[in-house]
Amino acid sequence: MRIFENTKFNFIGNRRKAYVVSGILLLLSIGSLIARGLELGIDFQGGMEFVVESPVELEPVAVRGQLATVLGSEPEVKTFGVGQVLIRTPAEGDISDIQNRIVEGIAEGFAGSNPQVIKTDVVGPRFAEDLKQGAIWAVLGGLLVVFVYILLRFEWRFGVGAVTALFHDVTITLGIFSAASGVLPFSLQIDQAIIAAFLTIVGYSLNDTVVVFDRIREYSNLFKTEAYDKLVNRSINNTLSRTIVTSGTTLLVVVVLFIFGGEVLRGFAFGLILGVTIGTYSSVFVASPVVVELRARAKAARR
Amino acid sequence: MQGNGFKIALLAFFFALSAWYLYPSARNYFIQQRINGLEEQERVEYERENLQKIRNVKEDALKLGLDLQGGMHVTMEVRTDALIRELATDVDQTFEEVLTAARVLSDETGNSIIDAFVMEFERRDPDARLSRYFRDSDAGITRRSTNAEVSQYLLDQADNAINRAISIIRDRVDRYGVTEPSIQKQGTRRVVVELPGIDDPERVRNLLKGTARLEFHLMAEPDELLRSLERVIDHYNVVVEMTMVEDEEEDDAEADSALATEDLFAEPEEDEPTNPLLEVMQPLGQGVVFGLVSEQDTARVRELLSVPAVREALPIGVDLLYEANPVGLTEDGLEMYYLLGVRDQIELSGEVITSARVDFDELNLPEVTMVMNSEGSRTWARLTGANVDKNIAIVLDGVVYSYPTVINRIVGGRSSITGLDSREEAQDVVTVLMSGALPAPVDIVEERTVGPSLGKASIRAGFISIMVGLGLVAIFMIFYYRTAGLVADLALLFNIIFIFGILAAFKATLTLPGIAGIVLTIGMAVDANVLIFERIREERATGKTLKAAIDAGYSKAFSAIFDANVTTFFVGAILYSFGVGPIQGFAVTLMAGILSSLFTAIIVSRIVFDYMVVKRRMSVSYG
Repeated sequence: MRIFENTKFNFIGNRRKAYVVSGILLLLSIGSLIARGLELGIDFQGGMEFVVESPVELEPVAVRGQLATVLGSEPEVKTFGVGQVLIRTPAEGDISDIQNRIVEGIAEGFAGSNPQVIKTDVVGPRFAEDLKQGAIWAVLGGLLVVFVYILLRFEWRFGVGAVTALFHDVTITLGIFSAASGVLPFSLQIDQAIIAAFLTIVGYSLNDTVVVFDRIREYSNLFKTEAYDKLVNRSINNTLSRTIVTSGTTLLVVVVLFIFGGEVLRGFAFGLILGVTIGTYSSVFVASPVVVELRARAKAARR
Repeated sequence: MQGNGFKIALLAFFFALSAWYLYPSARNYFIQQRINGLEEQERVEYERENLQKIRNVKEDALKLGLDLQGGMHVTMEVRTDALIRELATDVDQTFEEVLTAARVLSDETGNSIIDAFVMEFERRDPDARLSRYFRDSDAGITRRSTNAEVSQYLLDQADNAINRAISIIRDRVDRYGVTEPSIQKQGTRRVVVELPGIDDPERVRNLLKGTARLEFHLMAEPDELLRSLERVIDHYNVVVEMTMVEDEEEDDAEADSALATEDLFAEPEEDEPTNPLLEVMQPLGQGVVFGLVSEQDTARVRELLSVPAVREALPIGVDLLYEANPVGLTEDGLEMYYLLGVRDQIELSGEVITSARVDFDELNLPEVTMVMNSEGSRTWARLTGANVDKNIAIVLDGVVYSYPTVINRIVGGRSSITGLDSREEAQDVVTVLMSGALPAPVDIVEERTVGPSLGKASIRAGFISIMVGLGLVAIFMIFYYRTAGLVADLALLFNIIFIFGILAAFKATLTLPGIAGIVLTIGMAVDANVLIFERIREERATGKTLKAAIDAGYSKAFSAIFDANVTTFFVGAILYSFGVGPIQGFAVTLMAGILSSLFTAIIVSRIVFDYMVVKRRMSVSYG
């Protein structure tokens, strides 16, 4: 089957439209990040999380009301999986004590609920601070290594293009996380797994971009007389089939992960779905056009 | 076809290697299947007969993370501030102030509390010597030791403390009986404990944290205690009267609240609770019992009693401690505890205990009976002899377990702890006593517990994800690339075998994020083949023969494949070095997946194509 064989889409010619789309998405993302911020998980701000399972349905609002009296303050309660709720409280007091109070509180408030704690996560504030530092270093380290590699393997214009695409992808993914948090029926809190997902997105976005760049580099030597923007456009078109197929299979598996991977992996898989989609878009519509812009500017300057 | 012999040999070698490493995992799976299928009776028998075999196979099998098999992951931190205090003698006001400041400083900056302590001390008085608190002739700390020497001594002691804590915790875990526990030091002052298949997290928490500081104390003089109880109540009555005067002043302005106050005055019996202490504590003053407090009010009472003016009202050298067991229930079903007057002087401590065991008293209630060494026995005999008809408090970790009245002098160094809830609790007290006291209190700074049912559900979810992902990608590849797609699918199968082989060979632990990494790899692994196939299609379009197109496709696609994979591999390496636990699991499978997919996509598919095109002169469809 051949779908994207010998396409002649004018990607570079229409790049300004893509800039508008990306620009709007970036503005909305930054706006949401400033206005709403990101919801940090307990990994990075400390706290206690209990997942309670029960044969009867536990209505989050009712559970919150019931536990408010037992705990002395309102915990955060969310549906987790089927017949499960996730209860989040600040990290204060004795773990066993709080766990017992929650279990007794639910048992009292919901007849026949026989609540079982099937998962607990407790992170103390200082440990959370350490995890946060670790995550920041991981992200910075990851970006640095990737930049250095791109700079070594490609000329600087490509480096700038790849990095621009990278920031584009991560910012928009973060923006969507910020905007959709609390709207979608699953947790979008930033925790360690999400950081891993973001770094994977960084790797993936580059992976996609690098293949196009590799083709541009090859064609630059082959078709020396061709106008640069035409050459880039041809590179994008000739790698388009690969771009779509690889993104397709990758998207396929992350969607599978999202559907079948269970509640624990849902936010992680969601991040990957966003990242793969946006990363594919950006390698065609952001990374390569930036290279063309830089080249055009250099030419204009020479004249 | 030259060189393919080598490629085939390489493939066979890696395949054999993977099979070798995965064989124990497969055997383990079948043994577990068999055990699960047996009746209870047969199972016990089978397990006894094959104990060694089961254990060996399990040892070599691919390890599942706690998130998959269920269990408890606990990170503990030794409280260095408490250790400093513990080591110090002649503690004075300055010391306490410096330590408090150091605690705040170290929390803010994240520096070691020892550094913060020394710095703060020197900042207050550059000429003062720390050695005045930490004289220790064994460690060579004398009056003349410099602050640098003391600082080094504290650091050594902190190192020592964590190592001792680890060995004590290991001892406790062993005594508790957990299969395949893992206890590791993390950084300089943390311990990571991983316990698979824990069903009672609360008990484990207490066991791990338990300092088992066993102390024998004399108790307060009843008359003295009663008098100070009256003084404390008076103190709060005065406070109440003062605030009431203020209230009345405010009431002039606010008619509403004035009305409410009038209501209160109308019913004198409701007047009493306005004393904040009496609201939460029922005063008793009988014998050594100071008061009665319900479980939810203990924190409030502690707060009210720690006010300096109140502390002064208490007899000198007397602390108020709770009794371990409730004396009754309130109307709301809350447990009520006695607050007891205990002298703060430690007469005898747990270090003199040489053996302890669980016993049952005449009412068949569990107790821990203990035997002391000769020095302890002598002190115990003297202590009991001098305090006939008085109470001695047996205090474990700051809680009074019992305070029996001494009937006569006890020789032979026997004593017991009663008032324990259950056999398990008695057993845990013995465990903690016998493993020795932790050098300093430890805090649980991180805990993650996954129940076995959730672990099983995660394994299922992971397995389904792998299968569905694999199936969909495989079908897609055949659909899109026909014969070549089939070859790519074969490469993918090898790829998955190799990933598991690599995990088993490096004794990596398979976690849920790790499975996610494998699923992700399935999607990304075909990329190398996609790049090659697309290239071959292009080369065919220029009119090359099939063989030439394949050659060109493989060689021209290589740089793109390499560059694209290197970046993701780097990201994996970074995640591995900075991440912890499950994230490392993800990073490991991601890296393993990249390595093996590079190998399978380039070598495996090439072998098949060469065989089909060159040897068999078949035509291969690239869709």
